[in-house]
Amino acid sequence: MTDLNFEPASRLVPVRELFGIDSSLRVPVFLTPDEHVPQIDAAYRFNPEVTLAILAGFTRNRRVMLQGLHGSGKSTHIEQVAARLNWPCTRVNLDGHISRLDLIGKDGIVLREGKQVTEFQEGILPWALRRPMALIFDEYDAGRPDVMFVIQRILERDGKLNLLDQNQVILPHPSFRLFATANTVGLGNLNGLYNGTQVLNQAQLDRWNIVATLNYLPQAEEVAIVASRVPHLLARHGEPLLTQMVAVADLTRQGFASGDLSTLMSPRCVISWAENMEIFSDPALAFRLSFLNKCDEAERPIVAEYYQRCFDQELTESAFPLLALA
Amino acid sequence: MNPPPRREKRQQQLEELCAATLRALSGEPRVRYRGGRLEVQERHFPVRAPHLHPDPEQDESRAWRGVSDSLALRLKHSDPALVRQVLPAQPIERLVFELLEQLRVESLVADCHPGVRRNLLQRFEQWSQQFLDAGQAEGHVGLLLFTLAQMSWILLCGGRAGEQTEMLIEAPRLSLLRHFGAAFGLMRRCRHHQVEFSGHALVIAAKAQELIENLDAELLDNDERKVSEITEKTHLAFALLLDVDQDGEGEVNSSGAAEGNSRGSSNAFTYQVFSRDYDCERHAASLVRPELLRELRQRLDRRLAGQGLNLPRLAKRLGALLAAPRRDGWAFAQTDGQIDAGRLSRLIISPEQREIFRHEQERPHSDCLVSLLIDNSGSMRNHIDSVALLADAFSRALELAGARSEILGFTTGQWNGGRPLKRWRAMGQPANPGRLNELSHVVYKDAETSWRRARPTIAALLKSDLFREGIDGEALLWARQRLLQRDARRRILIVISDGCPMDSATHQTNQQDILDLHLKHVARQIEQEPGIELYALGVGLDLSPYYRNSLELDLSRSLDNAVFDEILRLLKGRC
Repeated sequence: MTDLNFEPASRLVPVRELFGIDSSLRVPVFLTPDEHVPQIDAAYRFNPEVTLAILAGFTRNRRVMLQGLHGSGKSTHIEQVAARLNWPCTRVNLDGHISRLDLIGKDGIVLREGKQVTEFQEGILPWALRRPMALIFDEYDAGRPDVMFVIQRILERDGKLNLLDQNQVILPHPSFRLFATANTVGLGNLNGLYNGTQVLNQAQLDRWNIVATLNYLPQAEEVAIVASRVPHLLARHGEPLLTQMVAVADLTRQGFASGDLSTLMSPRCVISWAENMEIFSDPALAFRLSFLNKCDEAERPIVAEYYQRCFDQELTESAFPLLALA
Repeated sequence: MNPPPRREKRQQQLEELCAATLRALSGEPRVRYRGGRLEVQERHFPVRAPHLHPDPEQDESRAWRGVSDSLALRLKHSDPALVRQVLPAQPIERLVFELLEQLRVESLVADCHPGVRRNLLQRFEQWSQQFLDAGQAEGHVGLLLFTLAQMSWILLCGGRAGEQTEMLIEAPRLSLLRHFGAAFGLMRRCRHHQVEFSGHALVIAAKAQELIENLDAELLDNDERKVSEITEKTHLAFALLLDVDQDGEGEVNSSGAAEGNSRGSSNAFTYQVFSRDYDCERHAASLVRPELLRELRQRLDRRLAGQGLNLPRLAKRLGALLAAPRRDGWAFAQTDGQIDAGRLSRLIISPEQREIFRHEQERPHSDCLVSLLIDNSGSMRNHIDSVALLADAFSRALELAGARSEILGFTTGQWNGGRPLKRWRAMGQPANPGRLNELSHVVYKDAETSWRRARPTIAALLKSDLFREGIDGEALLWARQRLLQRDARRRILIVISDGCPMDSATHQTNQQDILDLHLKHVARQIEQEPGIELYALGVGLDLSPYYRNSLELDLSRSLDNAVFDEILRLLKGRC
């Protein structure tokens, strides 16, 4: 295989300067970004605890797994940290059909000098291992546990990868990093929300050095995120509207936690509501199109109640007019 | 268009909706209405503030919104242990303290909940108006408390009283402020601190009690006849609140869930049975002649055919509700997956052939046992046609969905006590004999028998002259025992009943309403222990005083798909 020469992450920059987090940690940063470095999203807001966990992964070569409900921005969080470190980064979406061959590589037929020859084509894993690369396994808990044993070895810090088909042992590049994101903690679909997730092998789960939880943010922070994403809305309607929107989302989360709803509003959903509001200019209509129609019909009156509490406005889905007692 | 649901049903829906919002706003998942009363963490939550008791006859449905929002804020911002610690013993003092505490938490409504603020405002205004209209502010206690409520509301929640109210409370307000002006003025500033606030509130409450006592004494000197009239009237206005309170404590005691309650142990409830010698468990086939069974079955089938029930759809939805995916066999001839060695030869014969892979299939599998426990008491005779239909259709749909089902019934062997009563008399009628009748538990279909084979015996439900009285608590224990003996990943017990337990001999010979208490006790026990999900279907009756998850069925209308949709929703809500 070709020798790959990469510049090491040489510059040490204080975390305080880069992320505005109160910590004395200094993190290595690559001098020049390459094509695999994600774009910086200047409006992105970092959760201090999770950022420190991810940075520990980058600086100390720890294997970090992020767990949290959907739409809480787990993968983006890792990407944005990588973007600021100029660290190349690739996301692999796992699903039930990813097989060992996809990860390691397989023999494929290629044309060489007009002749068909079989040649080993490397999978994503050996490719990433050889270079400074943060490899993110998205939806880690959707991968089949028996297939995931492929990465058992490289989950260890200096774990080498043995390509059995090639009689080759790959030594990971010193700047190779491995991350994963998952909705569950590897115990499967307990609350009925995440169909298709697997019960993970605990021996493998044990090898992840750091498991950080990224759940929904405090209200004020979420408002700030939505505001930064949809600045026009903020300019036109001011912050109270955004606070009310996030308040509705909060109620749906509480409702989900107590078993009244089977869906909840993720921060992503709030942002798309805000974006849709720019199109439709009516909060109620935009709400219906962004979230309410995703709910089970039986649950819509409950969501309409939440909406009434936060917006002091009746939705047509509200059951109250039908329930007049007197 | 369907006719609107019946009033009790609407009331139940309203309470469900309010409880859902209450749970979300307060962040406390274990809040529910049970028999029209609020329960938090399976314990009765006393509501003492006067404006939080809407009247279904008078108030519009929106009043419930204000009430549930107010209670949500109470749960969120007030520590009940602290309240219990300082709660005064005198009724009026206690009422004033509770009112002030409630207004305190109402003032803490977040800016992002303008709807909550409006609901609270509307509720309080409505209550004030009703209070005035009912003439309750005429007596001295009424006027004093009304004034205190209004001025606290204006101070804490920024409310605005109407002109009529302003005029009415002007004079008493000044006189009240003379008595506790200092404490009153400090309330608003410390409304974020419960401890500090309750100090001031206690001062005001004590003063109010004292003022009322003085007024009472003064009036007593002047005119004896008038005072009795007035105090009667005002006490009538507040009697409701005081009653609720006492009743609430009694409830906690009987459930045995009270901790640190002095009356808890003395009032503890024990259920006893006078004699089990005559109890029996029988199979329905042994109770009814085979010829009659065939005839009854035909009757049931005729009705079933006329109902237009969509059983496959019901089965599909039940399957989705009860099943979990399980790996089950292989899917062959796939274009991707794992190589299927058996098909490799095909690849050699025709290289174009790509369907040589296989992968594991996941199929829904419902390892679930549903037990329908049907009340066979005399009053069920009117409904048994529909209930039998429901049980039959449900059991069949469950079987189609891959789940097993049991149909059980319970009644007594005799009317009015039967042989145990005779024996009790012969023994000289000892006090508190406990349950005094012979149980008769009937198995219409057990889990091992398929629906097809059990068809005739299910029809035995229609022979309603076997129906006598009903002892629900023990029947529940019996059904529970049967469920636990069987191996299933999920066990569901559905009780269908039209009323509370009833056995005349037991009621006449025992002091307490032991059958009622026992049912509550058993239901609570099953709800709290893992392993069995308990649901109740009330035939024209709200069963929420007994069961946590209950639904009122309206079988006066035809038994259509909508009824099953409701039942599915009930099952879905708590899984």
